[in-house]
Amino acid sequence: MIKVEKISKSFKDTKVLQDVSFDINKGDFVAIMGPSGSGKSTLLYSISGMDNINSGKVMFEGRNIGEMKEEELSDFRLSKMGFVFQNPQMLKNLSVFDNIILPGLVAKKESAENIRKRGLELMKKMEIEEIKSRDKSQVSGGQLQRASICRAMINNPEILFLDEPTGALNSEATDQVLKIVGLLNEDGMTIMTVTHDKRVAAKARKILYIIDGQIAACKEFSVDTDRETELDEWLKGLQIIA
Amino acid sequence: MKLLLNLVYKDFKRNKVITTTLTVFLMISTIFMAGGLRVAGTIISSMKGLNELAIPPEYLQMHKGEYDENVFESFKESHEYIKDSFIVKMLDIRNTNIIYKGETLENSLMDNGFVIQNEGFDFLLNMDNEIAVVKEGEVGVPVYYAEDLGIQAGDMITLSKGNYTKNMTVSTIIRDSSMNAALTSSKRFLITQSDLDEISRHMGEWEYLFEFILEEGTSTALLEKDYIDANMPSNGVAITGSQLSIMNNLSHGLVAFIIITISILLIIIAVLCLSYIIRATLADENNTIGEMKAIGFSNKAIEKLYQIKYIFLVLIAGVIGYLVAIPFGDFFSSSVVMYCGNGTDEWMKWVFPLIGVILLSFLVIYRCKKTIHKNLKSSVVDLLRGDDRIKKEGHYSLPIAGFKNRNLSIALGELKCKWKEYVVIFFVFIFSSFLILLPMNMKNTVENPSFMTYMGVGESDIRIDIQYTDKLIEQKDAAISYLESDSEIAKYAIYQNSYVQLQNSNGEWEYLRVENGDGSVFPLEYIEGSAPKDEKNIALSYLNASELGKRVGDNITVSYGGEELLFNVSGIYQDITYGGKTAKANIDFEDKDVEVYIIYLDIKDGVDIEEKTLELRSILIDSKITPISKFVSQTLGGITDNLSLISGAAIVISLVLAVLITVMILRLITAREHSAIAIKKSIGFSNKDIRIQFAIRILLIQLVAIVVGTFLANTLGELIFGMILSFMGASEIRMLIEPVKSYLLSPATQLFLVFITVVVGSNVVKSYHIRDQIIE
Repeated sequence: MIKVEKISKSFKDTKVLQDVSFDINKGDFVAIMGPSGSGKSTLLYSISGMDNINSGKVMFEGRNIGEMKEEELSDFRLSKMGFVFQNPQMLKNLSVFDNIILPGLVAKKESAENIRKRGLELMKKMEIEEIKSRDKSQVSGGQLQRASICRAMINNPEILFLDEPTGALNSEATDQVLKIVGLLNEDGMTIMTVTHDKRVAAKARKILYIIDGQIAACKEFSVDTDRETELDEWLKGLQIIA
Repeated sequence: MKLLLNLVYKDFKRNKVITTTLTVFLMISTIFMAGGLRVAGTIISSMKGLNELAIPPEYLQMHKGEYDENVFESFKESHEYIKDSFIVKMLDIRNTNIIYKGETLENSLMDNGFVIQNEGFDFLLNMDNEIAVVKEGEVGVPVYYAEDLGIQAGDMITLSKGNYTKNMTVSTIIRDSSMNAALTSSKRFLITQSDLDEISRHMGEWEYLFEFILEEGTSTALLEKDYIDANMPSNGVAITGSQLSIMNNLSHGLVAFIIITISILLIIIAVLCLSYIIRATLADENNTIGEMKAIGFSNKAIEKLYQIKYIFLVLIAGVIGYLVAIPFGDFFSSSVVMYCGNGTDEWMKWVFPLIGVILLSFLVIYRCKKTIHKNLKSSVVDLLRGDDRIKKEGHYSLPIAGFKNRNLSIALGELKCKWKEYVVIFFVFIFSSFLILLPMNMKNTVENPSFMTYMGVGESDIRIDIQYTDKLIEQKDAAISYLESDSEIAKYAIYQNSYVQLQNSNGEWEYLRVENGDGSVFPLEYIEGSAPKDEKNIALSYLNASELGKRVGDNITVSYGGEELLFNVSGIYQDITYGGKTAKANIDFEDKDVEVYIIYLDIKDGVDIEEKTLELRSILIDSKITPISKFVSQTLGGITDNLSLISGAAIVISLVLAVLITVMILRLITAREHSAIAIKKSIGFSNKDIRIQFAIRILLIQLVAIVVGTFLANTLGELIFGMILSFMGASEIRMLIEPVKSYLLSPATQLFLVFITVVVGSNVVKSYHIRDQIIE
């Protein structure tokens, strides 16, 4: 579905990504890990077209997103991608529910009634119906993050990008988000996440470990193993190498 | 100090656009503040100076005909309160006999008299405000003509009648404290005694000005009464010193008043903007302030740090503003300086603006200090989170049925929540639209032919004045017989003007100019009541009615020809001629008492007014024939020209302000909404969508503001204009608006400019990368 070919990105004289290449297939759950400042988030934003790259290509369903015009890319983001950020980002002048359905109403792929219905279903699924009319300052971090996931899902995107989705959450909220992310992937949603959290990474099938802007290691889990233990051991091994 | 300057420099580099716009605003406010005060200082000094140096009479009675000099002397001696007095002998020369650059002055509405320099008081001054001296063959020309016709020292004036021709060199331009103003219909030329004697042998008619200076504390009304009681010569207009100064003040003061009004409005706008900008820029610094507090900076240190930036900017703006205000103020006070000189208190034009700039600077620093102080009260966490702003904004709901136009719905929704941020720009747009329209509408009103109705006459095309001549009746009859035979004349009406006496509210007798004629030919709109229907009715001008405390239905007694006549006030009308004090009544004046015959006429469609005027002038050579449009513009003097100048300046200033405030607000709002912009981008809004949303918000605000500004210009503007003109005798001015200019071109230009500014200014949205904003 996504083919990343030798992408590089620099900020002034600092190389943040260097010749990074990998593929994401439909239904994949890819986690990007690595030390702080290694270029994880930059990689996520570069793949999703939210940030420009200096060289290389990101092919999304056969189309080079680097060659898309800004409006085309916006449309692409609206209908094919969903985003969840570390700090849940919502428009402060809309209620949580209106924030969730906004991309749906903008995309106009379905009737407003259907979008509202789906918005409610997603909220039910995420167990946050009670915060429907509240604004972002009246809900907990976990609830807000789940609302962000609802918003990201409202247009049935092809891929969900998550940037440290549990980074700002407490343990209970993290569990709620993890459960939902796992369920979404089980339902066939392609997911790419940046994370420090081993529990999040353990939900993924593929781990890319980034050091200094390059993929230092890659790990694919077999479905039925104890992923958290396997990940722990793999990471320990990586630290030895590093 | 070096560290502080360094901080200011770094801050400037970081916020180039905002700091530059802030400085420009500061400068504009100081320019207006200082410029307006400079104009005020110059006018006060000029007019005061002219009065001090020229010493105008406190009472002036014009008279044509015989008089006994001994009677005048004994009157003077028998009244102790008369400090000084004399008789000015003025030789009235017809405008057709005065030639400048090959053309006579017949187009001029002024009555021109030739005099010698006075002794004791009422001096005619030269352009250095010294008592003017001319030599034989030289003439001092009134400053009115220097401005109107461009006459300069060294030019030649020719007096010619029949075979007699006398060339005179203009040696100086004259400032005349009594007759300077365009509103005063007489003008004095200064020549030597021998030239005056020579000219009087060939042309002209003597007119005498009985002038008085009174002991301090004496009322002119007392002199006026004693003068009348003593049956002193009074075949002409009597003017008091206060009336003279009203006419002078109106001529110069009106323009100054408008400039100062505009300056005050602009200062209000500038202070509003500054206040907002200081609050907004400092609110954006909350995070930094929070950080500084967190690492242990004291409130005092933070306060000082921020204040130094504003003090620095205020200093720069103050100095530049003060300096720029010098040419700015001089430009707008050039007319009064030309007429009255720089005056004796020139310090005013330097000190007034300085005080203004200092006050403005204190206001800015105080505002800044107060805002920082308020911000510093918040806790570190509040400052860092910026939470308090969220609480103040409300919510909007997305449309149930989905978007018809997503950008419009979102822009309107956000506007509903964030309207407080747009209050200042809303007011600025109202002000700028008001400022564009007010002078424009004033100008249109004054230039409209129907403005004539404020001069006590209905609309007509041409006015013929037959006055101050021995052959008044013959000339009138000649004019009527010509008009009767001219098939191009649609209609005409003749009015007699003479004087009656009436008792004012203090019981003192004073003269009243009364017009007698058929009011139905050129009907006049009355503020109250109607034109006199029979011999028992009188209509009063607005100023007369209000001074006498008379209303429609009241009775009034006047004295004419030794008889007391009782009239009933039938109507009140507006009139700005003759100091605003006139009346209309069917009094059968004796021919000898008729001062002036005025004929108003309309020509038939297709006939050119200018051509008809020239034709009439060639036939009725002894009469003064003026197209009404010229009559209005000459009566109002330089007011219409100055209005054009002011209107142009107001348009430029207003548009610059509108653009500047748009740039500023866009910068502040986009910076403040950076995370909302990033969220919108991340969920699929394009840069174009976001820019359209900003444009809708600002243009909608502007549209409403233009409607409000236009409404205010029509209502409040009409009041202001009425207030100005009420001093002249018109109280209820109806603003005459040119719809295409006022309702189409002006709003379209404002909207277009702001639209372009939004297009350019919102380009910054493109540079907001989602990752920078969201990760931040």
